[in-house]
Amino acid sequence: MNQFGVLLKKEWRENLRNYKIFWIPAVFILLGIMEPVSNYFLPQILDSVGNLPEGTVLEFPVPEPEQVMAAIMGQYQLLGLLILVLAYMGTIAGERKSGTATLLYARPLSFSAYFISKWVMAQIIALLSVWLGFLVGYYYTYLLFGSIDIMNLLRFVFTYSLWVLLVISIVLAASAWMPNAGLAAAASLGIIIISQVVDSLLGTYWPISPLKLSVYAASWFENGPDMADFWWSAGLAVVLIAFLLLLGIFISSRKAASTKV
Amino acid sequence: MNLLEVKGLTKSYKGNLAVDRVSFALEERTATALIGPNGSGKTTTLSMIAGLLKESGGSIQRDFKSGVGFLPQYPQFFPWLSALEFTEMAAQISGVDGKKARQQSIRTLEFVGLGSAVNKKTGTFSGGMRQRLGLAQAIVHQPKLLLLDEPVSALDPTGRREIMDLLKSLQQDTTILYSTHILNDAEKMTDQLLFLKEGKLVEQGSLSEVKSRYAEPRIRLRFETEQAAARFEDRKLWPMNRDRNVIALPLSGEGPTMQQVLAVLANEESGIAGVDRQSASLEEIFLKVAGNK
Amino acid sequence: MEESKLLLLLLPVFIIQLGLMIFALVDLIKIPYTNGPKWMWGVIIVVVNIIGPILYFVIGRRNY
Repeated sequence: MNQFGVLLKKEWRENLRNYKIFWIPAVFILLGIMEPVSNYFLPQILDSVGNLPEGTVLEFPVPEPEQVMAAIMGQYQLLGLLILVLAYMGTIAGERKSGTATLLYARPLSFSAYFISKWVMAQIIALLSVWLGFLVGYYYTYLLFGSIDIMNLLRFVFTYSLWVLLVISIVLAASAWMPNAGLAAAASLGIIIISQVVDSLLGTYWPISPLKLSVYAASWFENGPDMADFWWSAGLAVVLIAFLLLLGIFISSRKAASTKV
Repeated sequence: MNLLEVKGLTKSYKGNLAVDRVSFALEERTATALIGPNGSGKTTTLSMIAGLLKESGGSIQRDFKSGVGFLPQYPQFFPWLSALEFTEMAAQISGVDGKKARQQSIRTLEFVGLGSAVNKKTGTFSGGMRQRLGLAQAIVHQPKLLLLDEPVSALDPTGRREIMDLLKSLQQDTTILYSTHILNDAEKMTDQLLFLKEGKLVEQGSLSEVKSRYAEPRIRLRFETEQAAARFEDRKLWPMNRDRNVIALPLSGEGPTMQQVLAVLANEESGIAGVDRQSASLEEIFLKVAGNK
Repeated sequence: MEESKLLLLLLPVFIIQLGLMIFALVDLIKIPYTNGPKWMWGVIIVVVNIIGPILYFVIGRRNY
């Protein structure tokens, strides 16, 4: 078997045996269920809590199903991404720090196979989680709020998936770069949060930005994004992902010497 | 034939020389012991030869293509892999084909005494088992060169003996370079000694060469009385020194051979309480070399 | 009426929650070390709904 296959099998066993293959999708599914359910029952929950003065009339506009799906994505943007960052921060930095990498690096290891095997496994689990979460979330949304045009839903999911691919690429490159898992998480969260803040503050000046992919994803439910802007942003995201892959391979081989012997 | 030739190997960290112009060669199918005090550069030297560290200067020439086997001092394994899964993966990364990798892994694990633990997760392994597994992953792909960093220092005396015996049996078709601070072990299995001190190679040669260079072997004669010893000394047969009833006879230089001494003693009338041959132990040499400024 | 509907809708949540708890507890028993005392994580996993097992997997579990 080639090295990539051997290493991918190792990653698979790791993710299976530390239960990441179960608990990460579980988190996304839970978020996907909670959002529509709590939206649906919000008026009644407030009512039953009942501390409102007599005669208060609460007007809750019933949200559109599209809005509920966008709200699920909002949860993923906060909690989902945090979970993914924390789950994969140690992918390379942790192996180096603990010394488990030593016995791999002392062999004729292909660092492309090494890095890409980790990248592929993390992406599979991240995308699986996001897709399962949206699927279950949509099932609930459909039951409680109504249906959504399937093409728009798919466009929404795929646009958001591209963003997730980018985020995981950032996390793995940071894990290759940083000396330990904590710093890798801090670096990736720093990059993701700061660039998003900058983009949301000043981003009106540049419509082409991978950071707007989540905005574009939600805009499929309305008039759809400006096609040129969308495609340029998506293309830029792909270029960035490819760059981060190359960077990760390069850094993990350069930093191999910092593994504990 | 030399399997590996190291010339002027140097490693510096921020201006500090961890390894300073070290040169040596490893002959095929020999065992070389790398000894020296803590922090003398043993691990750094091994790491560079293993390819884990990039040398700052000098060269490492290998006369072979197939891999190196490396056992770090504290081998770390993925705790969620079984011993067999780990060893098999190690073999495959080193280029052994799938089916062969499994067979060789099982055989190697049995060889190091882990035959009953092949399917146990490495996370549950004791210190001794980890050391055995470390050895297994180092030899599973049948490398020509085996680099071992303190292979037995974490083991109890029984385990140490067992592993040393395993290593000796490997020597038939492997070249071994190992570091140790247990000098008894070094004395048991070594064709060449390399003595590192503060990153420099300060002593090098076969065990007997080094020994003869450092402390001349001598015969110690213990007489029953001080007078008898004094009488023997007065005969001035060879250069010797007396300390009360004990006489030390150097065997090197102008000294006699053991046979000559014994022949003289056979005709000696005064009572002799004991005769023994002393040679400097590696430990004495170690202390001597390590203490030299 | 609405309450029984709510319970029915949340049934999968309870199942996932239970699953997470079982996975986390099984893992806690098998793993040699955790970050922080084991018993504490046992309490957190059982007592803190949903978040407990996830906290354990993210923070408590030593992955390397």
